[in-house]
Amino acid sequence: MDSLLAFFTEPLAHEFMQRALLMSVIIASVCSIFSCFLVLKGWSLMGDAVSHAVLPGLALAFVAGIPLAIGAFIAGLFCALATGYLKENSRVKEDAVMGIVFSGMFALGLVLITKIETDVHLLHVLFGNILGITQRDLIEAGIIALLCAVIMLVKRKDLMLYCFDPVHAGTIGLPVRLLHFGLLILLALTIVSALKAAGIILVVAMLIAPGAIGFLLARSFDHMLAIALAASLFSCISGTILSYHFDTATAPLIVVIQAFLFLLALLGTSLGTATRTIIKA
Amino acid sequence: MSKNSIQLENISVTYPNGHHALTGVTASIEAGSICGLVGVNGAGKSTLFKAIMGFVKPSTGRVTISGMAVKQALKQNLVCYVPQTEEVDWNFPVLVEDVVMMGRYGHMGFLRHPSKADHEAVTAALERTNMTEFRKRQIGELSGGQKKRVFVARALAQGGQIILLDEPFTGIDIKTEDALIILFRSLAAEGRLILVSTHNLGSVPSFCDDVMLINRTLLAHGPVETVFTQENLVKAFGGMLRHHQLVGADLHDDEDKRSITVLSDDERPLVFYGETGGQKITKHGNKE
Repeated sequence: MDSLLAFFTEPLAHEFMQRALLMSVIIASVCSIFSCFLVLKGWSLMGDAVSHAVLPGLALAFVAGIPLAIGAFIAGLFCALATGYLKENSRVKEDAVMGIVFSGMFALGLVLITKIETDVHLLHVLFGNILGITQRDLIEAGIIALLCAVIMLVKRKDLMLYCFDPVHAGTIGLPVRLLHFGLLILLALTIVSALKAAGIILVVAMLIAPGAIGFLLARSFDHMLAIALAASLFSCISGTILSYHFDTATAPLIVVIQAFLFLLALLGTSLGTATRTIIKA
Repeated sequence: MSKNSIQLENISVTYPNGHHALTGVTASIEAGSICGLVGVNGAGKSTLFKAIMGFVKPSTGRVTISGMAVKQALKQNLVCYVPQTEEVDWNFPVLVEDVVMMGRYGHMGFLRHPSKADHEAVTAALERTNMTEFRKRQIGELSGGQKKRVFVARALAQGGQIILLDEPFTGIDIKTEDALIILFRSLAAEGRLILVSTHNLGSVPSFCDDVMLINRTLLAHGPVETVFTQENLVKAFGGMLRHHQLVGADLHDDEDKRSITVLSDDERPLVFYGETGGQKITKHGNKE
C-alpha cells in the first residue's frame, strides 16, 4: 500500500513534476471540452492544420519581441480564415486548400526557425516539453485555458446546436457566423494553451481522442463531455506519472494512453453491438 | 398581429460563382394552407427556402414574412425548418427530447436554461407527434417515420407559425406518410402556413392546397386544381419524368378517347385520366 502511494507522491516531490502535473490537468480539461465540438463538427483535419500553422507565428513573434502565444494565435487563426477564403473563391476543394495552406505555413515556420536565431527549440515545439514548464508558462496557459473552457461550457448548447443543425440555428435567430468564427478562435486558443506541453504534432491527438472516445460511448451531449473529460484527465495524469517512473517522453506517452483508451472504447461498443445482435437473433 | 404570410417581391438570387439560381419570383403565400413548392433538383427550391430563412441575400427583391423583414421574423421564432432526413447526422449524441428542446432555444435566456414553459412545450409537442414513448431514445435508434416526427415535434415546440418542410416524404412508408399528412393538415387548419419543398409529385394533390411550380423562376402558382396540370408539369419538369400512357384503345373497347397518363420520377406516381390532358402530353412526349 505504501509503495502504491509512493508511486503517486514520489514524483510530486519535485517542483518540475508538480508543474507538469498541474499543466497536464489544465490542458486535459480544455482540450477534452473542445474535442467534443471538433469531433461532432468534423473538424479534425482543421485541428491538424491550425496546430501546424502556428509555427511561423512563433518564430515571427520571437523576432518582434511579443509573447509567443500571441504570434501562434494569429498564425493559427490566419490559417483557418485563409482556408475558408480560398475555398469560397476557388474551384479547389476544402481539404486540398487546407493541405496547401497549413503545410506551406508549417514549412515557412521551419525555414524561419532554422534561419533565425531564436530560443524556440524545434523539438520542444514539435513534441512539447511538459517537464520544462516554467511558472510563467503555467499561468499563461492556465488563463487561456480557463477563458476557453468557461466560454465553451457556458455556450455549449449554442455551439452544439451549431454543430448539429446550423440551418435550425439560423432560423431561430442565433448568430451562426459568430458561432462559426467563435469556434475557430477557440480552436486556435486551445491549441496555443496546449502548445508548450504537448507540441504542435501531438496536440492534435489531445484535441481528437477524448471527443472520439466520448462519441463512441455517449448517447447525449453532456455525457459525451463528461466521458471525454474523464478519459482526458485519466490519460494526462497517468501519462505524466508513468513517464516519470519509466523515464520516457511525457506527451507521447499521454497520446499513447489516449489511443489505447479509444481502442478499448471501440472494442467495448462493437462487442456490445455484437452481443445485442446475438441476443436478438 | 398581422396574418401569417410570406411575400416574395421580384426575388432574384445569383450565387458568387455567377450561377443564376432564381430570377424574378413574385408570389404571396397565405396562412391556413399548405403550399407545395415543386420543381426538379436544381430548380431553385432550396435557394428559395434559403432566401426565406435569410441564408442567401437576394440580389434583387425583398422577402417579407408576416409583414416583417426576414431577420426580425427569425428573432421572433416565426419560421421553423424541418430538414430532409439525409441532412441530419443520426449518430450525433442527442436524445429525442434534446432535439425537440432545441426548438425552444430561441425562447431561452443567455445560458439556454429551460424554464417550466419550455419543458411543457416539449412534452406537448412530443405528445402531439406520438413521440412521447421515444423521448429518451438516441435519434439514431428511430425508424424512418419517427425520425421525421422528431423534427416536426421540434417545429411544434418552437411554436413558429411558418413551417418549411424539406422533402418530408422521402424514406417513409405510405402509412406514415398518411399520418404525417393528417398532422400537417391540422396544423394548417390552426392558421399556420406550411410550405413544402418536394419533387414527389404523387403526394401533391392529396396534400397541398396550392402549388408553386418553379424552374429557375416561378412558372405557375395557384390552387392545385388549376395549376397542377400536365401542361404546367411538363413545362416545369421538361424531360425529367417518366411518362407512361395508356391510350383509349388500350383501356376501352369503345370510342372513348380518354386515356390514363402516369407521371413519375422515383416516388409516388401522378396519374391523369381524361381526354384533353392526355392529348397534350402525347404531343410533348413525341417531341422528346
